[in-house]
Amino acid sequence: MDEPHLKRELGLLRATMLGIGGTLSAGNFIIIGHAASLAGYSIVPVVFICGIISLLTMFSYCELGTAIPRAGGEYTFVKVAYGGFLSFITGWFEWLSNMFYAALSSIGFAYVISYLFPQINIPLTAVIMVILFTIINIRGVKETGTAETVITAVVLAILGIYILSGWSFTQETQTSIASAPVGLLGIFAATAYLFELYLGAEAVAAAQAEIKEPGKNIPRAIILSAIVLIILYTSVVYIAVKVVSPEVLSEQSSPIAFVAEQMMGPIGGVLVTIGLAIAGLAATNEAIMAQSRVLYAMSRDGYFPKKLSEIHKRFSTPYFAIVVSAVLTLVFTATGFVNFVVYAVNLGFIIGFSIVNLSVIKLRREKPRLERSFKAPLYPFTPIAGIAASIFLLVFIDPSVLILGLELSIIALLVYFIRMIGYYRLRVAFGGISLGLGGFTSFLTYLIGTGFIQLNGVSPAVATIVFYVFLFVSVVQILAGILNISAPSRY
Amino acid sequence: MEIREAISRAVGLMQTVVGGISMVFAFLLLHNVLNVQVVLGVSGENIELYMWVFIVFGLLSVISGLFLFYEQ
Repeated sequence: MDEPHLKRELGLLRATMLGIGGTLSAGNFIIIGHAASLAGYSIVPVVFICGIISLLTMFSYCELGTAIPRAGGEYTFVKVAYGGFLSFITGWFEWLSNMFYAALSSIGFAYVISYLFPQINIPLTAVIMVILFTIINIRGVKETGTAETVITAVVLAILGIYILSGWSFTQETQTSIASAPVGLLGIFAATAYLFELYLGAEAVAAAQAEIKEPGKNIPRAIILSAIVLIILYTSVVYIAVKVVSPEVLSEQSSPIAFVAEQMMGPIGGVLVTIGLAIAGLAATNEAIMAQSRVLYAMSRDGYFPKKLSEIHKRFSTPYFAIVVSAVLTLVFTATGFVNFVVYAVNLGFIIGFSIVNLSVIKLRREKPRLERSFKAPLYPFTPIAGIAASIFLLVFIDPSVLILGLELSIIALLVYFIRMIGYYRLRVAFGGISLGLGGFTSFLTYLIGTGFIQLNGVSPAVATIVFYVFLFVSVVQILAGILNISAPSRY
Repeated sequence: MEIREAISRAVGLMQTVVGGISMVFAFLLLHNVLNVQVVLGVSGENIELYMWVFIVFGLLSVISGLFLFYEQ
């Protein structure tokens, strides 16, 4: 009996919509407000620059996506180029970033909705969203892809109305953009903050095992998504700062809805809120799909339990990976913190983008005969520029997020180490730890029993109980240590 | 081999329970539930240190205990 596989069901239109839909997160339109406070009127070139930086790396995604048409995105690319720990760490951060991105999208959705319904509970609304799209993703990619296409088309239409009204409004009111009131540092900080604006188009590469004619459709879909998004975001932000000042923009919970209300009246605010809310739905859906596919690929390679790569026989989806990812997403979603999640998303993707660009360079050198339907233009300028820009932006990431990144790297090292050393050695190691703990507890028990350690302020009865508890614990720990160390090697 | 398996399961279960109780106790200590800080004469300054010691001790014990409990 054949093992179930992921189905190739997504054509060019649906693949492109997947890229755009994953990028048009409601969270992106919320964070524009804070970015405006960092960059002032320079937010317009900042948004454009972010798009160009993203496009540089998207060329690398296109090349690798056509050369290595398998599920898993960055993780799979780096596995082919480097293998070992580097591919594991790429997959690790890709998975976590998508998790944070799903959280950001759902929180963004809740904030957008709160523009119309201020009484709603933001974390609870976001949590309900994640649960809903987890169920949809388990149902299958066909349903997911169709929903994505329809949702993205509606959002694009609403944002199109916003842009057209904005052009007309700004022509009539003759507003002007003043020079930037902030320095270069503010502009760089805004660039690092808005880096995630264009994240999502690369999800096309992650879902490549489900795309028809991947050699043609993957590069076309990725580049088309990137170009559409650069034009769209730049226009949206340009109109926003033409209509209201960056200071006013930064004070709004839903800045774009506020701008729409200024231009078109209350109906404008309602219309844009509906559009952004739908965008939040699409992006959450996309992020949940992307993170589960990475987890699926890593499990398939033995880094995580095999259960995570199990495909549902009826729906042909990695259902267990979807559920596990969703549970972790729910934890971050329940916090409701926007800026922290934004920087966490950026950090993960900056690391991932840099390694993807390095992979292009390595594969061009070491596997020049590898079949590539698409080659990154202006090589090696594009991948090198992508790496340089990404690393530069790291400097402006929030320090608390950098610390989180360090901690996550340490956990990744531990997980990788455990996977590499195997079950038996790990068990022996824990046997040694138990023996050590047992020895230490025995020593403490001896000191308490002989009166070398006095438990100040503790009654004699409690001291006796403490003594026997310590004695029991030391015996258990020593026995456990001996049994684990002496475990037969076949385990 | 059957005797070894039985001993492993029993010791594994005890170690897991000890680890679990240790972690729960860490939070009882931190939040001074049932006035444990006073009963055990623990000063408030070192509470966080004690908490981490009990959590790490408990976590290591649970993992080691599970290895033994699921030995086949």
